[in-house]
Amino acid sequence: MGRDTDKLGKRSVAKGQLPSRRQLLKGAAVVAGAAAGSSVIGAPVIWAQEIKDIELRHVGVSYSVVKAIGDQAAKDLGFKVTMQNVDTSAAINRFITQPNSVDIPDLEGWQAKLAAKRGVIQGINVKKIKEFDNFLPIFTKGELDGQKIPRQGISPYEAMYIEKADSTDLHEGVTEWATFLPQVYNADSIGYRPDLVDHPVTEWKDLLSPKYKGKAAILDVPAIGIMDAALCFESADLIKYGNKGNMTTKEIDFTIEKLIELKKSGHFRATWTTFDQSVQLMAAGEVVIQSMWSPAVAAVRVKQIPCVYAPVNKKGDKEGYRGWCNGLGLMKHLSGKKLEAAYEYINWYYTGWQGAFVSRYGYYSPVPSTAKKEMTPTEWAFWYEGKPAPEEIKDPYGVPMEKAGTVRDGGSFLERVKNISCWNTLMDEAAYMNKRWNDFKVA
Amino acid sequence: MTDHQLATANVEPVPNRRLRALAPSRGGRPWTFYVLATLFTLYVIALYGPMLCIYILSFQDVRGGLVFPMRGTSLHWFVDLFTQVRTGDVKGSFSRSIRLAIVVTIITVVISFMSGLAFRKRFAGDSVVFYLMIGSLVAPGLVLGIGVGLICNLLGIETSWYTTALGAQLSWTLPFGVLVMFAVMSRLNNAWDEAARDLGASTWQTTYLVIIPILAPGLVAVALFGFTLSYDEFTRTLLTAGSLNTLPLEIWSMTLNVTSPSLYALGTVTTLISFLIIGVCLGTIARMQKRRAAGPAAH
Amino acid sequence: MESKTKRRGSNAGWLLILPLVLVLVPFFIVPIIGVVAASFVQSDGFGGIIPSFTLENYKGVFTSALTYQLYWATLKFSVVAWFFSLLIGFWIAYFLVFHVRSPLLALGLFLICTVPFWTSNIIRMISWIPLLGKEGLINSALIKTHVISQPLDVLLFSSLAVVIAYVHQLTIFMIVPIFNSMARIDKRTMEAARDAGASRFEIVRFIVLPLCKTGIALGSIFVVSIVMGDFFVVKVMSGGGSASVVGAFYEDIGVLQYPTAAASATILTIIVLLLVVAILRTVDIRKELTR
Repeated sequence: MGRDTDKLGKRSVAKGQLPSRRQLLKGAAVVAGAAAGSSVIGAPVIWAQEIKDIELRHVGVSYSVVKAIGDQAAKDLGFKVTMQNVDTSAAINRFITQPNSVDIPDLEGWQAKLAAKRGVIQGINVKKIKEFDNFLPIFTKGELDGQKIPRQGISPYEAMYIEKADSTDLHEGVTEWATFLPQVYNADSIGYRPDLVDHPVTEWKDLLSPKYKGKAAILDVPAIGIMDAALCFESADLIKYGNKGNMTTKEIDFTIEKLIELKKSGHFRATWTTFDQSVQLMAAGEVVIQSMWSPAVAAVRVKQIPCVYAPVNKKGDKEGYRGWCNGLGLMKHLSGKKLEAAYEYINWYYTGWQGAFVSRYGYYSPVPSTAKKEMTPTEWAFWYEGKPAPEEIKDPYGVPMEKAGTVRDGGSFLERVKNISCWNTLMDEAAYMNKRWNDFKVA
Repeated sequence: MTDHQLATANVEPVPNRRLRALAPSRGGRPWTFYVLATLFTLYVIALYGPMLCIYILSFQDVRGGLVFPMRGTSLHWFVDLFTQVRTGDVKGSFSRSIRLAIVVTIITVVISFMSGLAFRKRFAGDSVVFYLMIGSLVAPGLVLGIGVGLICNLLGIETSWYTTALGAQLSWTLPFGVLVMFAVMSRLNNAWDEAARDLGASTWQTTYLVIIPILAPGLVAVALFGFTLSYDEFTRTLLTAGSLNTLPLEIWSMTLNVTSPSLYALGTVTTLISFLIIGVCLGTIARMQKRRAAGPAAH
Repeated sequence: MESKTKRRGSNAGWLLILPLVLVLVPFFIVPIIGVVAASFVQSDGFGGIIPSFTLENYKGVFTSALTYQLYWATLKFSVVAWFFSLLIGFWIAYFLVFHVRSPLLALGLFLICTVPFWTSNIIRMISWIPLLGKEGLINSALIKTHVISQPLDVLLFSSLAVVIAYVHQLTIFMIVPIFNSMARIDKRTMEAARDAGASRFEIVRFIVLPLCKTGIALGSIFVVSIVMGDFFVVKVMSGGGSASVVGAFYEDIGVLQYPTAAASATILTIIVLLLVVAILRTVDIRKELTR
């Protein structure tokens, strides 16, 4: 019986000759089971046997907790990973009121702050994270390319570190213990139809321009919508905010009053509530300029309709992207073998596959160097370097998205991320802000 | 006699021929029939309006989105529905929702029936139970869900779709079911119970052979409500479902990302199955009726 | 003998009602006590509570104009949805009971009306967009047949869209109880009235309507409960243009402001409870049962 080569030219083992690696492991595991406790058997084999039964429950929003990623992790690591999608509101409530029902919470910066305060997460020992030293300095020094990352809102750097494993307050500066470790982040701005808008948009204030009356939209999430509005008003020189991410009641009042004025004058076509609604509004031309998320812009372009994600680079104190960051946490109740598995899981995120996968949504990885290994040179050039795409670009599921030669809106990774001027946040006056946002909605 | 007594008076059975109570003597149909038939047709069309979009759009190819214009024609999304390539665990959450809805329906019918029987006679505290039930109907599901979740966490009970979500959904469907039973139970004349008992039937036989057949349409209504309320239930299930989503939860969380048209494929498939089931049920009933009609004649 | 049967009856009553109570206790009574308790404490801003008794939450709800606007908006939707679902539901039930001759056909037609409900509500919610949108089926059809030249944008992301969605979803909840009430009307009463010279409308007004009071009351209770407690129909169909009571405290919960959300929830429960009690006063369902 000779050896066969399969279609990929790899040599495969002819049936009946050498046992497969899995069979070897299984056999060894049986022996290990029989000789339980014997120090003759090496750790990895017992490990493989024991973690087979572990199940990690990763819970979070659907743009960050993706089933395909969980499946790949399960395949590579050998234990079961259950991804559960919930919306932002339900997620934080699950983490706080039912911490035992979650293993890996997917946390935004401000959610990590809340979770730490409530004592439902445990500190992640960064020494156990293999790639931690390769994390971009945004997360480990609070700066990028020598430039300090703005602190308006709750930046990941601010939310990540705690003094001890069980501290409830955030610590300024890097420590050994993290509340969460970033896994996906991006810089958001406005989307617009270049064929229906007469000039390239580079400033937030264009969203308010009377030229687009009845054809503009913002989104219906209070915490994000109000920051987008703040960026618009600051860009239009109507007001200067102390901290867009933590407004005073007076600033909130001003912002909401202005929004109500715009709404009453019919400026907004809608405040979109679902992702697909934003895609639909733009694709149908019902709005020509609106707050948008990066994959939504891509989804419009897949329909062969031009849509641009405005490069709102900083101009002095104004403009700039709104940044957000989701990451992995560890619930307090994890211990023993499950905790080990959780660390394996977190480490797996920085080995490149996940980084490459999310890059096709337009999101960034905290360790681009490993993501680069799993991306094609075309993808790397397009998504990170901001160069014209040498070939066609496909979305995460293989559907063609961009033609060769297109340049990513906003340019390179450095250009976009360096221009983040504020981060998604939880304000001190959050309850008041919610109330006033509802005033806007009933207006 | 009052209107009600007149309307529900027990008289001898009508001979086996079609009632022509409202048709004019010449055998045709009154003009109101045509008006109402048109209304009914329009209603069905309006009811199926969104469904039509679902059916058409479920046949798009891989580039398809959730809206018109349609992109391509293929069975791609039906395949995707069963193999889960894209975001969202539609197949898994659908199977959970269906199973949960069936269990909730059965339990709702049984408990509503028992409660209806219980309320026939006054017992101590019956007003309290009645208003508690109404309270359960009107309380916002969101906060009840949080409450249940908190308590489970405190007591160390694990929330899951087949335990806590089941209970939370029952707290929603049971008031509907019991209220429907209230309306239906007034069909029952206490005299019939007594008659059955006089003839020697045990309580169980009375229930099984007399009460249930009379109440059957009402029980069907309760089952219908129980199923549809459970299948669509969202707010109470949101925080009590544990680590596996039911269909509404899964779809809701998908709205934060690209929502897959496999949802539409699901809609088309469930409609096809529903029509199949209805066709089979009606066909069986029709055949049974024919056989029953032919039966005495055949002897 | 008399007292024995009465006692036996009351014990049987308790046994029969036990399952209902067993469900209500953990899934309604205990959480609602928790909610009411939470409404009287202060939030520490991070989802925790400061153990203290305060009426601040309630004061906040009652003194804010927003509360009244939200209730007004939600009540408006309730009334409009109730009115149209009643109007349509009544006549559909009437048709099925009195104009369709074969009971099997009536059953079949009725089941056809229920098939859309086997597809999840939320999928139907999403499918309103391709139906009512500017490039949707209705606008395309109207434009192709030259009825209008510009697509109607009031069909979607507006209050009209919300009402359409509600009526679509809720008419079945009216049809079923009214159908049930109508089916019990003895057709010969109506025939007698017809013979006595009553017009069709008089028959409906004086015979059918009064005898359907129970069905209508039940349907109304169902519709009002569902609309007052709903939030995602309004959220999705109004395109963020309208808010609802539950929608407002969904957002509060999203930032862990439990005490204020609890206060709003308690008040909502009491108000809708009063609405239902008011409906029950016009038609005493329980009296009918325990005749």
